[in-house]
Amino acid sequence: MVKVRTILLYLVAVVVAAVPLVPLGLLFALAFSEHPVYVRGFTLANFEFLKTGVLFPGDPHRSKIYPNVYTAAANTLLLALGNMALVTLISSMAGYVISRYSFRGRSALLGTFLVIHGVPASVLLVALYYLLKATGLLNTLLGVVLVKMAVDLPLGVWVLKGFYDGIPWDTEIAALVDGTSRFGAFFRVMLPLVSPGIFSIALFSFLSGWGEFIFVYTFIQSSTNWTLSMLIQSLFASEMGGINLALIAALSVFYLVPVLVLFVVGEKYLVRVTIGGVKG
Amino acid sequence: MRVSRELSKKLIIGVMLTPAVVVAVLFLAVPAALTILISLTELDYRFKWIWCGLNNYARLLTDPTTRLVVQATVIYVAGTLAFNTLWGLCLALLSTHVHDALGTFMRAAWLLPRVLPSVVWAMLMMWIFSPLDTGFLNSLIISMGGQPVPWTFRYYWPFLFVVNGFIGSSLSAIIFSSAIKSIPPDYIIAAKVDGASSFTIITRIILPMIKWHIAFFVAYNTLSLLASFEYILLTLNGGPGYYTTEVMILRAYHLAFGQYMVAMDFGYAATYVTILLVVGLVLSIAYWRVFRLRRLMIEPKLE
Repeated sequence: MVKVRTILLYLVAVVVAAVPLVPLGLLFALAFSEHPVYVRGFTLANFEFLKTGVLFPGDPHRSKIYPNVYTAAANTLLLALGNMALVTLISSMAGYVISRYSFRGRSALLGTFLVIHGVPASVLLVALYYLLKATGLLNTLLGVVLVKMAVDLPLGVWVLKGFYDGIPWDTEIAALVDGTSRFGAFFRVMLPLVSPGIFSIALFSFLSGWGEFIFVYTFIQSSTNWTLSMLIQSLFASEMGGINLALIAALSVFYLVPVLVLFVVGEKYLVRVTIGGVKG
Repeated sequence: MRVSRELSKKLIIGVMLTPAVVVAVLFLAVPAALTILISLTELDYRFKWIWCGLNNYARLLTDPTTRLVVQATVIYVAGTLAFNTLWGLCLALLSTHVHDALGTFMRAAWLLPRVLPSVVWAMLMMWIFSPLDTGFLNSLIISMGGQPVPWTFRYYWPFLFVVNGFIGSSLSAIIFSSAIKSIPPDYIIAAKVDGASSFTIITRIILPMIKWHIAFFVAYNTLSLLASFEYILLTLNGGPGYYTTEVMILRAYHLAFGQYMVAMDFGYAATYVTILLVVGLVLSIAYWRVFRLRRLMIEPKLE
């Protein structure tokens, strides 16, 4: 009796675990499909664009509308790396100071970071658009990187503060007693100890920048500055009639490769960032 | 010596904290204040500041679409919140009642939709639930001889709950399952010795012990959902029909960045955003009190 219930429980668990993998499996099946709309057969023809980066080689009109895939990929990479570098650098410094020093305005600062993280920054799009326009950063990748970095920063500071908090005071005091300066203790003792935290935040902010859509969609007009997310969205919006869904699926698979690799490598690090609460 | 130590402390704080503060002020505090100012103007595509007092707020009250938009917001937040919390709870309970390896794999698999770029996830869901015959589910139904179902036309709210909930429930599942794991096993063993069923253990021991985690998630998620619109924009975009799924923040987005130049009604858009900002701020302060988040901010020992 108990055995049957246990088997049933495991069966349900396996099915539930497989559910989110189904849409991904369908995406891959469509990307390798011989039919442009239905999942049928197996072919590599949809990945022809990888050779030259041109999506519609036989159609000069449409080729003019859409940027080269590799241009878009380079822009996406730039956004992801820029976001990762800035968020990781700034939050690893700020997290340390907030964790280890007491100063006036400390809890106010932490509270502000918590509140602005809780209210997604997408609400500030109107004002950010105005600011970027006033500073001439509209329609540039730099503008998107700066905004994206500012939005991801509060979470980074909170998560890294938590990692610094988790390191016993004695470790740092020991380093200080041995004659290191505070800077020395930070660089040579603390940073190596919080490297899992730094890795988590770097991974999170890379993926966050790589998948970013709203800021690119709102702040970037010229297609030479498009990222892959923007390219896929505009293809899907205009090809929804069902002309060439398999090509879009193939492009999505190309877009997903780094995401899936990083997810498999760093899933246990990502979980530690998610505990702070991200999106959704 | 004392003076120099004090100085070096100030230097370290200054050097290491300034970048974060500057970024937060420039990109988050200034825009928030600017939003409130813009809501008092008729700022449009000409980018001229024409002050108009509270006219935009008066317009909001008389606008016939306001009622529809508020209604959509309530349905969207309540429905997605219910999906996220209940399904997250199911995932957490299920993944802590099976072998740890399977439970970890389960939570990892459910994290996947969250990690996927929003564009890819939205496109996949639109294709699977497409109302056209070429949609995946419909092509499956037709091949088995059935009638195609107009999924997103008829069941637009359930569709949006699923699209968003697959992403939101991974977060609640992680929070709830780590809370369940931190319950001392003695309690559960004692209950089992006394002959309690699994159901009784869940309702009488596990749920009461993680109720604060559930309350925290509900509070936190309400805030994020009020201001989230990315997946609606990417899938149904306010439709089908007349403002059916147009939530407040999406309405603001359409007013500001809709397809045509006439759309660039920044002043009126900022009015919606200001209301959301005020609601968000009030809720945050209330949560602050209720959940005593202050204990997260214990002052450091070392100086």
